[in-house]
Amino acid sequence: MSAETAGPETLGSLSDEPQQDPNSQQAKEISGKSPLRIALGRLARDKIAVVCAVVVLFFVICAMFAGTISDLFGVSLETPLASERVDGLNNGLPKPEMGPPVGPFTWEHPMGVAPRTGEDNLAYWLHGCRVSLLIAFTATLIASVVGVVIGLLAGFLGGAVDKVLSFFIDMFLTIPFLLAALTLAPILNERFNTSPDYPTIQKFSLVMVLAMFGWMGTARLIRGEVLALREREFVQAARVMGMPTSRILFKELLPNLAAPIIISVSLMLPAFVALEAGLAYLGIGVTDGVSWGQTILKAATPTYFREYPQYLWQPLLGIVALVLSLNLLGDAVRDALDPKTRR
Amino acid sequence: MTQDPNARAEVEPTAVGANAAEAGERRLGDDVSDAYGSHEVNVGDLDFHIVAEHGHTASELDPDAPAVLTVDNLKMYFPVKSSGVVRRTIGHVQAVDGISFEVPKGGSLGLVGESGCGKSTTGRLITRLYKPTGGSMMFDGKDLAKLSNREMKPLRRDVQMIFQDPYTSLNPRHTVGTIVGAPLEVHNVVPKDKVLPRVQELLEIVGLNPEHYNRYPNEFSGGQRQRIGIARALTLNPKVLVADEPVSALDVSIQAQVINLLQDIQSEFDVAFLFIAHDLAIVRHFCPEIAVMYLGKIVEIGDRETIYSHPHHPYTQALLSAVPDVKQAAVGGRRERIRLEGDVPSPINPPSGCRFRTRCQFAQEICAKVEPPLLQIGKRHKVACHFAGELGAHPATPVTTELLGVDDQGSPVPGATPSNTQLTIPGYEKTWYDLRTKQTTGV
Repeated sequence: MSAETAGPETLGSLSDEPQQDPNSQQAKEISGKSPLRIALGRLARDKIAVVCAVVVLFFVICAMFAGTISDLFGVSLETPLASERVDGLNNGLPKPEMGPPVGPFTWEHPMGVAPRTGEDNLAYWLHGCRVSLLIAFTATLIASVVGVVIGLLAGFLGGAVDKVLSFFIDMFLTIPFLLAALTLAPILNERFNTSPDYPTIQKFSLVMVLAMFGWMGTARLIRGEVLALREREFVQAARVMGMPTSRILFKELLPNLAAPIIISVSLMLPAFVALEAGLAYLGIGVTDGVSWGQTILKAATPTYFREYPQYLWQPLLGIVALVLSLNLLGDAVRDALDPKTRR
Repeated sequence: MTQDPNARAEVEPTAVGANAAEAGERRLGDDVSDAYGSHEVNVGDLDFHIVAEHGHTASELDPDAPAVLTVDNLKMYFPVKSSGVVRRTIGHVQAVDGISFEVPKGGSLGLVGESGCGKSTTGRLITRLYKPTGGSMMFDGKDLAKLSNREMKPLRRDVQMIFQDPYTSLNPRHTVGTIVGAPLEVHNVVPKDKVLPRVQELLEIVGLNPEHYNRYPNEFSGGQRQRIGIARALTLNPKVLVADEPVSALDVSIQAQVINLLQDIQSEFDVAFLFIAHDLAIVRHFCPEIAVMYLGKIVEIGDRETIYSHPHHPYTQALLSAVPDVKQAAVGGRRERIRLEGDVPSPINPPSGCRFRTRCQFAQEICAKVEPPLLQIGKRHKVACHFAGELGAHPATPVTTELLGVDDQGSPVPGATPSNTQLTIPGYEKTWYDLRTKQTTGV
């Protein structure tokens, strides 16, 4: 059987390949491919990953240009005179000229208006997306930086430093997140609700709460990874050449931690998006401002769900699409970075 | 890999093949078939092949070379901690227990022994990856054992290391240029724009394409990666290179190339090597001087000729008998294989007296009671054994009794004073203790 496969055709096609002289000009221009670039190439061939990346990109653009897009559609966040847009006698549902569910679709309010207040849904959806992503990205950034630094130090320095830092990791893991968030909300509310920057303070404290309870996973992951890496001979080679510890940590080890860092970020981002909406729904996230969770809270009544289900579906679909595509993208990135799952 | 007897048997023919290939033709004459035997070049018969051959014959010993590194009574004990909340030290792994040797300038000392005998620990002590428990390592007038990490930094330029595994010794996320140029940046020896020319020069020295500086290690083969590791070690022009089993992770056909490269580097840059290996054939080729270690101690040290032809320590003899001999296999002859019984004892609780006595066929009462000194018994030959002698000619009575002032059973003789005038210095003395006459002689 092998004699047939290795026939003259096969050999011919092999020898037809242009012989490349390693010293030729062409060979010189080939620059090295880093492991990260190989992973990116693999990612680009993954169809699900590309679709998810496009979806995430769509949400990012919506968030970044929320104001511009609102202006483009001629909608805004400002609270109108409610009686102009909603029918107070019909459970506060929108008037027929405001579009669905009562009237036909209108470009003036592409996603309709909110019942009772008559606020434009599209503008609220876009700005809610912005708040969601802003909070999730900031919290992820803070949590991963804290987690990476603590994991690096604990793993590399070992000994007493490792013991103390590991104790802190375990301690934070024991605190129930929801309980802590529920406890913090009234305290912050009491303290700052008269402040003019209350919405900003609320967002800031939400980011802090999310980050405070999000860094431990990353820290543990990085610590374990560093424990394995520091026994590798290239770290010892760096020591033999007299490299300072900080340089070993950030120049030698950190590039090798790209995979676990990207993985933990890809897990944290969707989790924080979902958590932000969840907390807003519970009334302890962004309560004084625009948020998907707030919209869901308002929409989740039996009357509205029966008469005006789009009002609930709009923010819900946003969250589901964003979280799902972030999760799948994270999965694909993880596969692309892991040399053991090469296909 | 090298523990596979078949693999080791292949080294010799392959080494010849590589040399002959460089000479342009494969000759299978008598003088070529033994890559280690033919050092002499007949001046009358000076043709290209023989000259080319001469480039990679076994390294010669320069007996008058001054020592560049002097290790004296070096000790490394790793603490063993108990489990539980309060982790007390309950013992020590005596990985290296009082070894002394000299590495001559531009020469190379081979360190052989079985796994776990402390070879690699010794290498790591010299490069100060560990801080020794005791002893001294004199280099350039400074004791490396006593320096703090900060004081050590300028000296790190002179003491570099080649690692065993080329797959883990290069950072997979750095380009070759970054890896080889890192020592220059760490020590700030050249301005930033001069780093690249130096990197390319080094890549050329180790036989890689200098244009490949922006490639990543995963694009190179094992042998090429080891060359990158060698280039990195050479970057700062070191005076001493610790080579920790530099070829044991490589394919046998590549081992010869890397060894030849190391020889070229040694002759060109006058680097002294501490060559740690367990492949006796490679050590024989590369090192004119060899130290045999067993359980943290040097049991025999001497020049190549003595160690390989006239070993006096039972352990060295057993070690050499384990090397398969291609010539004898060809004629169908069989040598006597010395089989060591049992396992290597734990270095946490080594045997009293001579550490090899638990596996030694000549062991007697004295071996358990008195530790044999590392006695100089030849011009460049030291051995630590009460019954030192050539294979089949071990003396029936201990040879060290008079020196140590003990009787044949190892009990101290009342009134007898130890007449051992030899100081255990790292190098060799002018006089030595002759085993036949039991007198101190010197020629």
